[in-house]
Amino acid sequence: KRTKRAKKGTKPCSLTDKEVTVSQLGLGYVSDEVILFRYCSGKCVASRRNYDLALAKLKGQRLLTRESTDRARHSPCCRPTEYEEITFLDNHSQYHTIYEENC
Amino acid sequence: SVNSCNPCLDAAKACNLNAVCKRQRSAYVTACSRSAPIASSPEPCSRKRCHRALRQFFERVQNDLSYPLLFCSCRDKACAERRRQTIVPTCSFEEKSKPNCLELRRICRSDALCRSRLADFHMNCQTTPHSITSCPNDNYHGCLVSYVGLIGSDVTPNYVDANHANITISPWCGCRGSGNQETECEAFLRDFRENACLRNAIQAFGYGADAGFLP
Repeated sequence: KRTKRAKKGTKPCSLTDKEVTVSQLGLGYVSDEVILFRYCSGKCVASRRNYDLALAKLKGQRLLTRESTDRARHSPCCRPTEYEEITFLDNHSQYHTIYEENC
Repeated sequence: SVNSCNPCLDAAKACNLNAVCKRQRSAYVTACSRSAPIASSPEPCSRKRCHRALRQFFERVQNDLSYPLLFCSCRDKACAERRRQTIVPTCSFEEKSKPNCLELRRICRSDALCRSRLADFHMNCQTTPHSITSCPNDNYHGCLVSYVGLIGSDVTPNYVDANHANITISPWCGCRGSGNQETECEAFLRDFRENACLRNAIQAFGYGADAGFLP
């Protein structure tokens, strides 16, 4: 069981993409135009610092109070550091520009 | 899929999936949408900047991504409207008043780039009775390249409406007030509106007949 979970969680934080229509983004734009939606996913194990290791240890030993351990994250988040714009024509012949993500 | 019956949508997808095409398209749409630096200006956009961005788009993006946006074949109005919108016509094409075509030609001829692009168009898209395609040397590709060369110039041509069955191309001008030059003006306009070579070239591109890509 442990090995299975370990295998599953090895993908490092990186840029992934998916072809979706603009309508599927749920931003209120109605357009059948297909864009490449790029997003960040994966684990940030490699970039853990002493802070993260220590926090993980303290949480493991139940030395911190319950409320604070729930919100205290012991590894960095996989989030975008840069964004780029994408332009499309909606189904009412209006052009729009929105921002998409870039890790 | 819903998209497969709209070749113009397919062309947009292909462009969006290519980094250069996506960036350049975004650049010209932004340039053609942004309001003029002076807030009180009646102009909705900077036409000059829009034209420059359009020229850059067609120069920097490979033809197999840019041409399908402009020459996709349509079976319905939605598709034809998307095709008409390619060059952001509210900024790059339409104006409040329609100038006389010969006046537009005069303005074009006073600019070296526009003059040469217009000459190219007249040479490469001239309807000839001596060829099967109506194009000089049956060279569709040459005509399409010349047509694209005019986009972003003073005689920027476009589809006049979203009619999918019968395409009409024209620059934004008319022949009212031509005086004794009316015949000449009509002839100039006919080279766009009733040009068998240009129409065949666009249709052949859309339907994939040799894709128009001859050397």
